Amino acid sequence: MSDTAPESDTIVSVQGLHVSYGRVQAVRDISFDVPAGAVVTLVGANGAGKTTVLNAVAGLVKPRAGTVLYRGRDVTRWPAHKLVAAGMVLVPEGRQILGTLTVAENLQLGGWRRRKASAAAIDEMYERFPVLAERRNLRAGSLSGGEQQMLAIARAMVARPQVILMDEPSMGLAPKMVDEIFGVIETVRSSGVTVVLVEQNARRALRAADTGYVLETGTLAHSGPAARLLKDPRVVQAYLGVE
Amino acid sequence: MLQQLANGLFAGSIYALFAIGFTLVFGILRHLNLAHAAIFTTGGFLSVDLISRQGLPIWLAFPLVMLAGGLIGLLLERIAFRPLAGRPDEHFAGLISSVAFGGMLIALVQARYGTEQQSISSEAFPNEVYTVAGVSISLAQLTTLGLALVLMLGLAWVVAATPLGRAMRAVAENARAARVLGINVERVTASTYALSSALGAMAGMLMVLNVGQGDLGMGLAIELTGFAVIILGGMGSLWGAMAAGLILGLAEALTIHHIGSSWKDVVAFGLLFAILLVRPQGLFGTIKAREV
Ligand SMILES: Nc1ncnc2c1ncn2[C@@H]1O[C@H](COP(=O)(O)OP(=O)(O)OP(=O)(O)O)[C@@H](O)[C@H]1O
Ligand SMILES: [Mg+2]
Repeated sequence: MSDTAPESDTIVSVQGLHVSYGRVQAVRDISFDVPAGAVVTLVGANGAGKTTVLNAVAGLVKPRAGTVLYRGRDVTRWPAHKLVAAGMVLVPEGRQILGTLTVAENLQLGGWRRRKASAAAIDEMYERFPVLAERRNLRAGSLSGGEQQMLAIARAMVARPQVILMDEPSMGLAPKMVDEIFGVIETVRSSGVTVVLVEQNARRALRAADTGYVLETGTLAHSGPAARLLKDPRVVQAYLGVE
Repeated sequence: MLQQLANGLFAGSIYALFAIGFTLVFGILRHLNLAHAAIFTTGGFLSVDLISRQGLPIWLAFPLVMLAGGLIGLLLERIAFRPLAGRPDEHFAGLISSVAFGGMLIALVQARYGTEQQSISSEAFPNEVYTVAGVSISLAQLTTLGLALVLMLGLAWVVAATPLGRAMRAVAENARAARVLGINVERVTASTYALSSALGAMAGMLMVLNVGQGDLGMGLAIELTGFAVIILGGMGSLWGAMAAGLILGLAEALTIHHIGSSWKDVVAFGLLFAILLVRPQGLFGTIKAREV
């Protein structure tokens, strides 16, 4: 898989990725392709390496080996800000809202690169998320967890990305809020943005995705169409359990 | 008495301008930049050079000194701070390397201008003196106060209301989150140093215009006062540095008038100790020191 050229509609292609933190090998030889316009999910247990893969793709950690192709270009060594400018944006684990800044300022920072155009994008986000519009002049730290997650996604969307990488957007949220977040992911996808979704909630993630990859201790254990993984007895037993 | 207050205000505006640059770097980056005083001195000598030796008009010397200060700030960041970024001893090592950078800068100033005081030619600045309500105020003093206030308010505006300022506050709160948003953290860091150092050099120029000369010890003298201002105003607080600079200038002037000039440092540092003991976050509070 890693030595065949990616198909033309592949927007992100990860080939032979290795990442280490000092002597800890977090990710070993992971390869996967993300078709443009699709929702691809990476699922796996705590510590499997999901965040590490996303951070390496987003340019926040430097891989020890392997390549990341974005729209056919080798972006493996690109700094994060350059990738954002090129249309690949991360919604990080734990949201990383700037709590001392206002909601509006957080959104403006999302459009840091495209100051003029971002005003329109910000208005769209206020329309999509009326809560954010209501609270636009409040400090972002005063929002609830769910609202902060909305803000994190809205902030990423202000950059008008082509690919959005989401790291556990449903983490720590009440079930109703989780539904809301998956609804948002659906609208993001229907607006034409490619989504790479990392989740511990494997069942939910696979239902929302076209393709799934299952990580186990830093390597790919299973992969395939999400619908098939949902029925794969090995995946069901290890990650999905009985409903 | 009024005359003393006026003098205090003018001196205080220079303290404030010096301190605001120092506190900016601390507030945004948590770096203690001990080269700031050397940049102040360099700004002072450079303005004597430009005005008295090169014969440039003063209005042209102002932007040139700020530009030079900004460039030195970029160099400082590149040499003394960036190579240390991400190291566990980043903050302490940065403190030391900034001392070294400041020492080098002073040595270069000395190599070029010698150890003698450098006087600014008396015709450099129109020697106008106005008398208002029995208080005599020189044009140099008015210019100093006006420029210092404009620059400080300008800085506050940049930080509060511009995209660069927003990015600076984002970096101050969480550099990693700022990076995720596509902010070029290295560039914001460099810009912070450039702004800070431009203001530091400008403070040096205003000092020289007011006292009529520059000497190699001028940075050392204001550095200690500057620390008092920063502590008084709250580390990292721009408004605090502004207010505290003026307060300290006034306190000094009153001390000189009522007690004697040898007591002025006693009062400044007495104030510093009192604040550290009673209100360590400064008069105006401050950006909270990061946990970790
Ligand atoms: N900064 C770091 N330094 C050292 N080791 C790390 C670091 N970050 C992650 N690791 C290790 O790398 C491995 C993969 O971690 P990673 O955060 O990618 O997992 P994850 O699948 O995202 O887990 P979770 O579901 O808990 O978020 C783990 O063993 C973790 O302990
Ligand atoms: Mg994770």
